[in-house]
Amino acid sequence: MNIIEADKIKKTYESNGLSVTALGGVDVAVKKGEFTALAGPSGSGKTTLLNIIGGLDAPTSGSIKVDNVDLAPLKAKALAEIRLTKIGFVFQAYNLIPVLTAIENVEYVLLLQGVGKKERRDRSVNVLEQVGLSDQVNRRPHELSGGQQQRVAVARAIVSEPAIVLADEPTANLDQKTGAKLCDMMRDLNEQKHITFLFSTHDSMVMERARRLIHLIDGKVVKEESKGKK
Amino acid sequence: MKNTKSEFISARLAWRNIWRNKRRTILTLLTIIAGCSMIVLLNSLGKGGHDQMIEDAVALNTGHIQVHEQGYWDNMTIDYAFEPSDKLVNYLDSGPDVQAFSERVVAGGLLSFKDTTRGVIIQGIDPLKEKTVTNLADKTRPEGRFLKPGDTTSVVVGKILAKNTGLIIGDKLAIISQGFDGSIAAERFTVVGILESGIPEFDRELMLIPISQAKETFSMMGFVHTIIIRLKDVSSVNKVKSGIIDIISGEETRLEVMGWEDLMPELVQYIVMDDVGAYIFDFILFMVVAFGILNTIQMSVFERTREFGVMLSIGTPPGQIVSIVLIESAIITFFGIIIGIAVGWAGGYYLQVNPIDYSSYTEELAVWGVSTTLFPAKVTTVNIFTTSALTFVLGLCFSIFPAYRASKLNPIEALRQL
Ligand SMILES: Nc1ncnc2c1ncn2[C@@H]1O[C@H](COP(=O)(O)OP(=O)(O)O)[C@@H](O)[C@H]1O
Ligand SMILES: [Mg+2]
Repeated sequence: MNIIEADKIKKTYESNGLSVTALGGVDVAVKKGEFTALAGPSGSGKTTLLNIIGGLDAPTSGSIKVDNVDLAPLKAKALAEIRLTKIGFVFQAYNLIPVLTAIENVEYVLLLQGVGKKERRDRSVNVLEQVGLSDQVNRRPHELSGGQQQRVAVARAIVSEPAIVLADEPTANLDQKTGAKLCDMMRDLNEQKHITFLFSTHDSMVMERARRLIHLIDGKVVKEESKGKK
Repeated sequence: MKNTKSEFISARLAWRNIWRNKRRTILTLLTIIAGCSMIVLLNSLGKGGHDQMIEDAVALNTGHIQVHEQGYWDNMTIDYAFEPSDKLVNYLDSGPDVQAFSERVVAGGLLSFKDTTRGVIIQGIDPLKEKTVTNLADKTRPEGRFLKPGDTTSVVVGKILAKNTGLIIGDKLAIISQGFDGSIAAERFTVVGILESGIPEFDRELMLIPISQAKETFSMMGFVHTIIIRLKDVSSVNKVKSGIIDIISGEETRLEVMGWEDLMPELVQYIVMDDVGAYIFDFILFMVVAFGILNTIQMSVFERTREFGVMLSIGTPPGQIVSIVLIESAIITFFGIIIGIAVGWAGGYYLQVNPIDYSSYTEELAVWGVSTTLFPAKVTTVNIFTTSALTFVLGLCFSIFPAYRASKLNPIEALRQL
């Protein structure tokens, strides 16, 4: 079953009469349980594609379905609802609400979904444990390291059990070692909890850890490769 | 269920964001506190001052209400006199809002002393009852005395009048005028006191004589020109006025019933002018506070662009962003108002107990018929309520725009801000 079905996605930006093609007809399909990397150099269209898949941006043409829901006809409110319930987001950095503690940041999503207090706490504690932050739950973001902040972001992304987690260069602001550990942790979550990940990177260390790679250059998919389970 | 939870998280986020930039919050609070307290204080000074002016003017010589024959106030001649009916006197005697009342005979005349002659106003008063209605007795200079029961041809003359004519206590003067019946009225009086009211008009031309003597001198035949009424509280003027109008409506003589506002239009004019000035100042202060709040909220929203971008990206409904920002503004405004009102009230109370002394402006104020020199403040609930309500509403109104803008941020663009 495909969780993401993106067909012939085009995106052009107009600026000063010049049109820049960020995506020139991209087809992407992501199945449940995948651990897929969008690989490509800076400017290749990774962020643009993830934003479109995540319902944050609309394509110039092409169609996009998330969990079998066509995003094209949806209005802002419905898109917000899709993002809240079906998608987990991890951005490059500064993902968290600074005035909330780690656990409150995670709980925030469940609060928006109207989950009761007890269940909210339990589930948040549980995912923070899964990302290895059991002893940091009451820290505010500025009291956490960059790697820990990204882990909280991952915890927040998975706590509502979304259909897919979209992560735009989640390791870009981390050093090699921390980035690798974050990547390993995400893959553990993928293997053990069967959470579907689609993330972008231009880092070969991260690409190595992906099960499937979609290579993007100048807004086009140039190569796809799958690696068997090790 | 879902909504109450969202409101709860909004409030928590708002509360914590307030403490995020303590300096800015405190500055905003100080602006609101300063604005609110100044508005409360200014208005209480205005209110207290005006009430005092009215009270003093009323107490000096005018009373809260006067009853005359129709046409008296416009013409001020001796012909407009009436005989108070028992019904009217009974009503005033028993009226719960009436503190006291007194009758007067008032006539214009010529004073003659040695070789000077002056135009004067002769006010025939009841020495005992007058004391319960006005302060004329207290304004009599210590070297002489006020009129007392049993006096006949005794007179208290205005200070300037005395000076201009060279009259001193014990001097005998003559008054020439016309009687109510058209005859010539002439009488000799002995000066027993000097009146120093502080109001130039009075001090220049007023002469007080016993009403019993006035009735005789002017052949009044039981008629009087004025019933002057002192109320327990100035606020019941209209009530008592209409009460009197009801009582006299069936009577043959047409009477006019005038409140202090009709009797002292200059004072009303002064108060209105003063109020307009105060309103302009209030408006400026309200605007300073409102723009202070707007500035703070705008800055705080601007600094959190990325944060709002993240919140919107992960599915926060835009309405919740609006409520976070508005609650933030409401909390700051609320505390600013509470403290500001408390400070303003305390200041107002202090100036109520220790009134401001304007004695050095006595002459300027006297032009407006104002004899007050001590201006106590008076903090009213209306003042406190309107100041708080207006500040709160303005604070919220001026926060709506930045709040709305934050909710309409494009998440992608907002996320690009680091
Ligand atoms: N808002 C925009 N306006 C104009 N051009 C844009 C905009 N966003 C992205 N682009 C262009 O689209 C292309 C793809 O950008 P992006 O998706 O950010 O690439 P990546 O994330 O792979 O670095 C780039 O050439 C970039 O300059
Ligand atoms: Mg990018």
